[in-house]
Amino acid sequence: MIGERWTAYWFVLPGTFLLLAILGFPAIASIVDSFGSVGSGGFGSAYLALLSDQRFLTASFNTALFVVCVVTLHIILGLAVALLLNADIPFKWFFRVVALLPWTVPDVIGGLIFRFMLDPLSGGVNAIAFRLQLMQGPYDWLGDPGWAMFSVIMAETWRGYPYPMLILLAGLQAIPKEQYEAAAIDGAGRWAIFTNVTLPNLMPMVLIAVVLDAIWQCRLFGMIFGMTNGGPGDATQNLSLFVYRQYFQFFETTYAASAAVVLAAVLLAVAIPYIRSTLREKS
Amino acid sequence: MQHGKGFWLFVAIALFVMAIYNLMPFFWMISSSFKTDIEVTSYPATLLPQAFTTDAYARIWAQEGFVLYFLNSIKVSGGTAILSATVGVFAAYGFSRFRFQGRTALMATLLVTQMLPGVLLVGPYFKMLSLVDLYDTHLGLILAQTSITLPFTVWMLKGYIDTIPVEIDQAAMIDGATRLQSLVHCVFPNILPGLVATTVFSFLLAWGDLLWALCLITTPEKQTMTLGITNLVGQFRVLWSDIMAATVIGCAIPAFFYLLLQRYLITGVAGAAVKG
Repeated sequence: MIGERWTAYWFVLPGTFLLLAILGFPAIASIVDSFGSVGSGGFGSAYLALLSDQRFLTASFNTALFVVCVVTLHIILGLAVALLLNADIPFKWFFRVVALLPWTVPDVIGGLIFRFMLDPLSGGVNAIAFRLQLMQGPYDWLGDPGWAMFSVIMAETWRGYPYPMLILLAGLQAIPKEQYEAAAIDGAGRWAIFTNVTLPNLMPMVLIAVVLDAIWQCRLFGMIFGMTNGGPGDATQNLSLFVYRQYFQFFETTYAASAAVVLAAVLLAVAIPYIRSTLREKS
Repeated sequence: MQHGKGFWLFVAIALFVMAIYNLMPFFWMISSSFKTDIEVTSYPATLLPQAFTTDAYARIWAQEGFVLYFLNSIKVSGGTAILSATVGVFAAYGFSRFRFQGRTALMATLLVTQMLPGVLLVGPYFKMLSLVDLYDTHLGLILAQTSITLPFTVWMLKGYIDTIPVEIDQAAMIDGATRLQSLVHCVFPNILPGLVATTVFSFLLAWGDLLWALCLITTPEKQTMTLGITNLVGQFRVLWSDIMAATVIGCAIPAFFYLLLQRYLITGVAGAAVKG
C-alpha cells in the first residue's frame, strides 16, 4: 500500500528500542567487560583464569550433570503423562489441572518446600523413613554432597516436568487420526502403533522440548538458591549461582562477566538449531 | 482402536500415581502451615496436624512487611505484564502484517534474547540503574523483568495475530480506517483471549522471579514476595510453619491464574514453543 513503507517501523520500533535499552545494552556491556584484565593479566585474562578455577569447573560440571539428568527425567515423565492425558479419560479437566500444578510453583518456593521436606529434624522424608523403619535416626540429606545433588535434581524434576509435558501433549494432539486408523486396519498392535506412528510423528516436538527445557534448566537460579544455596560447599552450585556470587558477593565483575558469557555461549549453541528451524518455518 | 479392561485399569492406576506424585509437596506445605510451632519442630514429623491451628497465617499477616511484599509483587508483576503487553502487541502486529527491511534479523534477535541467561544481564543492569537513579526502585525492577517477558510476549502475540485473516484489516482500511484503527477495532477483539493469556503468563513469570529482585532491591519495604520469603528463611530461627503459610499464599496466586487459563495454556505456551 502507498505510504505504508514506514508504517511498519512505527509499530516495531518502540519495542525494539525498549529491548535495546534494557537487554541489548547490558548484554553488550557484559561481553565487553568480560574481556577486561584480571589481576596482572591482560586482554581476556579472565577467561584464562576461569580454566584453572576449580570452583568454576565444579559449577560447570554440576550444571551439566543437573541439566542432563533433569531434562532426561522431564522428557520421560512428560511423555508418560502427556500420553495419559491424550487418552479419552474421564475427569480429563481435573487430571489436566493436577498435571499442571507443580509448574505453577515459583522455583524458589519449590526449593523451600523440598528443603523443608528434607529437613533433618522436622522434615517429612525422615518421618516417613522412620515410620517405615528404614532408618534409626534423622539424616541430613542436604548436608551430604551426593544426596544434596540428587535431591535438587528430584525437586526440579517434580517442579518443571509439566512444561515439556505441555509441548509433547500439543504434539500428540497434532498427529492425524487417520494414521492411527490406518495402522489399526493393518492389524498393528498397541506397541507397534506407538513406535511406528506416535514416536516418529512426535520426534520434532521431543527435540523442541529438549532444547527449550535445557535452556531453562541451564539458567536455573531460584530453586537451587532456595533449597541448598549451592551447598554443602560447592556441591550443588551451578553456573548461575557461581556468577551471582562472583558479582554480588566477591565483586569480581570482570570475572563474573566472563563466566556469564561462557554460559550464554553454551545456551546459544544449544539453541541455534531451534532458532534456525523456527525462522525457516516462519518465513 | 478398542482398548480392553486391562488397559483402562492401567491408565487409572497411572493417573492416580501421577496425582499423588504431583500433589505430595503441596500436601506437605499446606499440612505444615496449619501445625503449631511445637509440632512443626518435632521429630519425627507428623503428616497431618495434630492440633489444627491458623497461628502461622495470623503471624504472617501480623508481620507488617509481609502484606507489603504481597502488594509489591502485585505491583511489579502487574507493571511488567502491562508494559510488555502494550509494547508487545504493537511490535507483534508490525511483525505479523508487514514485510520490511530488517524484519528477519529483528525476529532472530528476539529469539536469541530469549535464550540469554539472567546472570549475563544482571551485573551491568545493576550499574545502569545506579546511574539513572533507578536502583532499588520498583520501576527499575519492572524494566528488568520486561527484558525477560517482552521477547516472548511479541512472539506469542505474533502467533495469535497470524491466525487472524489479513482480509479483515484490508476491509477495514478500504472503509477508511487507519492501520492503528484496524489494529484496535478488528485485530484486538479477535486476539483478546491470547492477549489475556500472554499477559497473565508475563505476570506469573515476574511473580516467580527471585534473581532480579535479589540483585536490584535492598530496602526491606520494597521486597517482593519471593524475596521476602527467601529472607525469612535466612534469619537465625527457621519456623517452618510460618514459611509454609507464606509459601501457600505465594503459590495461590499463580495456581489460581494457571487453572483459570489452563485451556489456553496448551495452545498458548506449547503453541508458542511449536510455532515460534
